[in-house]
Amino acid sequence: RQQLVAPPRSPREATGEMREVVTVQVGGFANFVGSHFWNFQDELLGLADDPAADAAFRTAPLDMDVLYRTGETLQGVSTYCPRLVSVGSRGSLGSLSSSGAPSLSSAASDQLNVTTWSGNVTRSVEKPHGRNLFLQSLTEQEPNPSTSNGGNNSQKSVEDKDLVECLEKDVNFWTDYTKVQYHPQSLYEMYGSWTDFDKFDNFGTAREVVSEWSLMEEMNEKLRFFVEECDHIQGIQFIVDDSGGFSSIAATYLENIADDYTNTPVLLYCVRDPVTHGSSRNQRDTITRSLHDAVSLSKLSSFCSLMVPIGLPSLSQSSLSPFLSIQDAKPFHSSAISAAAIHSVTVPFRLQNAGPASNIAHSSGNIDMRELVHIISDQGRQNMVTALDVAMPAPSLKDGNDLWNMKSLRTLTPEISDEEEDPYSVESLVVHGVLRAGGHRASISQVKDSVYSAYEGRATKPKFSHLSVSPCPLPIPLPFPSIFRSHIGQHGEILSNHAEGTQPKGSLDVESIPMAARLRSSNAVLPFIERRSLSLQKFGVARGSLGTQILRDWGFGREEMEDMSEHLSKMVRAFHPEGGLTSDSD
Amino acid sequence: GGLVGGAGDIKLTKDGNTLLKEMQIQNPTAIMIARTAVAQDDTSGDGTTSTVLFIGELMKMSERCIEEGTHPRFLVDGFEVAKKATLEFLETFKTPVVIGDQPDREILKMVARTTLRTKLYEGLADQLTDIVVNAVLCIRQSDQPIDLFMVEIMHMRHKFDVDTRLIEGLVLDHGSRHPDMKRRAENCYILTANVSLEYEKSEINAGFFYSNAEQREKMVTAERRQVDERVQKIIELKNKVCAGTDKNFVVINQKGIDPPSLDLLARAGIIALRRAKRRNMERLVLACGGEAINSVEGMTEDCLGWAGLVYEHVLGEEKYTFVENVKNPHSCTILIKGPNDHTIAQIKDAVRDGLRSVKNTVEDEAVVLGAGAFEMAARKHLIDNVKKTVKGRAQLGVGAFADALLVIPKTLAENSGLDTQDVIVSLENEHDRGLVVGLNHNTGEPVDPEMEGIYDNYSVKRQIVNSGPIIASQLLLVDEVIRAGRNMRKPT
Repeated sequence: RQQLVAPPRSPREATGEMREVVTVQVGGFANFVGSHFWNFQDELLGLADDPAADAAFRTAPLDMDVLYRTGETLQGVSTYCPRLVSVGSRGSLGSLSSSGAPSLSSAASDQLNVTTWSGNVTRSVEKPHGRNLFLQSLTEQEPNPSTSNGGNNSQKSVEDKDLVECLEKDVNFWTDYTKVQYHPQSLYEMYGSWTDFDKFDNFGTAREVVSEWSLMEEMNEKLRFFVEECDHIQGIQFIVDDSGGFSSIAATYLENIADDYTNTPVLLYCVRDPVTHGSSRNQRDTITRSLHDAVSLSKLSSFCSLMVPIGLPSLSQSSLSPFLSIQDAKPFHSSAISAAAIHSVTVPFRLQNAGPASNIAHSSGNIDMRELVHIISDQGRQNMVTALDVAMPAPSLKDGNDLWNMKSLRTLTPEISDEEEDPYSVESLVVHGVLRAGGHRASISQVKDSVYSAYEGRATKPKFSHLSVSPCPLPIPLPFPSIFRSHIGQHGEILSNHAEGTQPKGSLDVESIPMAARLRSSNAVLPFIERRSLSLQKFGVARGSLGTQILRDWGFGREEMEDMSEHLSKMVRAFHPEGGLTSDSD
Repeated sequence: GGLVGGAGDIKLTKDGNTLLKEMQIQNPTAIMIARTAVAQDDTSGDGTTSTVLFIGELMKMSERCIEEGTHPRFLVDGFEVAKKATLEFLETFKTPVVIGDQPDREILKMVARTTLRTKLYEGLADQLTDIVVNAVLCIRQSDQPIDLFMVEIMHMRHKFDVDTRLIEGLVLDHGSRHPDMKRRAENCYILTANVSLEYEKSEINAGFFYSNAEQREKMVTAERRQVDERVQKIIELKNKVCAGTDKNFVVINQKGIDPPSLDLLARAGIIALRRAKRRNMERLVLACGGEAINSVEGMTEDCLGWAGLVYEHVLGEEKYTFVENVKNPHSCTILIKGPNDHTIAQIKDAVRDGLRSVKNTVEDEAVVLGAGAFEMAARKHLIDNVKKTVKGRAQLGVGAFADALLVIPKTLAENSGLDTQDVIVSLENEHDRGLVVGLNHNTGEPVDPEMEGIYDNYSVKRQIVNSGPIIASQLLLVDEVIRAGRNMRKPT
């Protein structure tokens, strides 16, 4: 919350003018992910100004104005806030009010006088949510605190330990661990008197909410506020929790965005909490889940440029587990992984060009969102469903001309195949903050050489690949969960001599993590799409089925069902070479 | 009342509809009632609280009968008869209003005032009455339904000021994005446009990659030129209509305008706003005239609208653009200033209801005497004339319905801290003497609503009488099923 004042801006290169990204978060888990994402950004802002911080942060080639906006309050105080619209259910803001400020205490609410009514007043007051130790520490901070990890005096580090512990024990809302100051226009709570958000678990449950005209209008207005002030918007990054009713809200929101900002690319991340993958109780449940997934894919993909499904049914059991100790039951944990991956994907959107005159490469491979979309979905097949793979931490380079370990990339996208060999695949790889032997930061050219050699060494090379490299690793802010295995070092290096079986490490022990993330359009994602396409055909379109009834309850007529089904079939067909597959031969 | 949400957010409301939407209702019966009540608000604009009260009272009256052994079926039959009779009575009871080219402004004001006073203290309500009536009359076009979306309701937070005013024209919540553009201009042509004035790479070269820097430069230049040409067309039109006069030119664009385009426009003396909201495109044309253009090709003077005054108002980082003194406004803006969000929200709710009450009156061509007068009279009619026409136990249903109507005057009395029994007795006496009276909530005395100018909407009343018994009947019959099931279960 210390980032109220705009940091000094680095002079912009003549060639690359800043192009803004506006972020939208819709739904419970999306906001959990967003909360971590913005904590990373806030940490970067703090570290850039901190003389004690790692040089990789002080001279980070990241233009934060891409994600942040400068403004001022009614009192004339200047502010620097995320360009963000966050949509959640009523009550999901915890102890934060929708204006972005801590909510009023009961005492303060008592003093609020009604100036428009002179008659009787009844007051019904619900007990506000308390602020946890961590949130209290934010408001108590001295005016110019250091954001770097590892306090100087012992007393402070004891306090920090308490804060980390309190978050490990008890996080109920995404606001419980956010350290970011949000703009008053950013946070939107949907009211819904009879929408029971506990049962808000499928596409159909949001029907009434979506049909509420004023609600969509208010969401549109919030977004317009941030887009209007952009001189050169490069795109909208949109994170949706598509496990339930928010999928439908996002679909309507995306449709409005496509109407209002026609040529603006939208990069959509569909994120899911592992706990939503629970087993079905009965056949109706199973069909409902399958139809929800199919309808979500069809609707959401219709109004975005690139769609990235994220959300393994289990992270604790995943291939990330050798390095990370994640508790699937804690959204505070699982959302941190998605957030780290999304952070890495956004790095190329804000890399500053060093310009041709500079002889030491500061960074490499900046592309804007439009170019990324173009690379991924226009170069190979006309496929816009993209897998996201991540190396967390990214392995260090060894000395000599070695190949960067591509196998270190582990996918976060569910239901895809392990198929690596696809001559039509298209990839965009981001590698940032990678170390070399001895713990030094690897240079841009070293990373490039190593990655290029690795690509050369692959049996089947992708049709097209793009590489972005930055020296700046992922900073680990204090409110990051303690999920690192004990053999992860202070800078995310993998320690060879470590004590086995100790407690997972957190932000007090690990300062930063080298990262790699890859967006990949390949036939590996085909099973994901195919499965949804088949469920819609099997359960939905077949006449008289239980699924047809469910879809009707959700408000879809036959024609719309068939359109959705055809849309999914078309997505599947993009993977089959022309004329290679004939389903109907008559 | 005040209402604090889960987050400790405060919501002040005098509006039943707001209250219901904000509450997390768990009870299925309550959810059913709430749905009906909110649907009522959506169709006729008010009456949420009355609907809830009426359904509640119908259930209370029914419960008494059921406890004494009456089967719910009889009550439901009685409700049906009573509802039909009450609706017929409403037809004879209503006061017709002649709406023509020159509607009776006084009666519209009375209806608006009655509605506003249920939400705001009298002084404030009376101040808003004229605004609300004038706004509806401003957007009203003969032979067309009234579209209240053409009244924009805007708000500004202001430290001290509580003030609401009607702007015959438009207020936009954004300003120009160039430091050299005028902040105030008179005699303005208005160009309402939906044309991209920003450089977008995708326009020409989707699916194409530059092979070298020089090629890239060329493409960029070519694309930039296209955008510049569009801007140039606008400048040409400006020069054609403004040259040698003191007239000004304002572009309000739904799409984006990038800094180079803003530069060109500013240099030509044009004021330009970007990313106007879609609905304002329609409003602008209705307010200023001209037409909204989707392309700069073939643009003529006829496309342009007109405003006598355009100026910008800045509050912190918030900017507002006022487009005023328009010729023949069919769209207008109600601007609410208030010291905090709560005050603003309260006034907004009331203004919305006020607008709808005026619209309803114009469309109903009728009003109904308020202050509980209708309910008193309808009850008397049901008891005196209808009940005896019904055979058997359904009479109980008619009686329950009639008594439930009294919840309206009772609540008025209660809200004023009066004794409800006394009030009902004194009102009944007057009605028995053939006087149609309601309740003066200040004195507790009977009052002639016609003399006081207290009128309610006909369509709102109609909806309450209509939907209340439907829901109550559903609830009673659901209950019946449950009871039946319980009785059938025999001890083994």
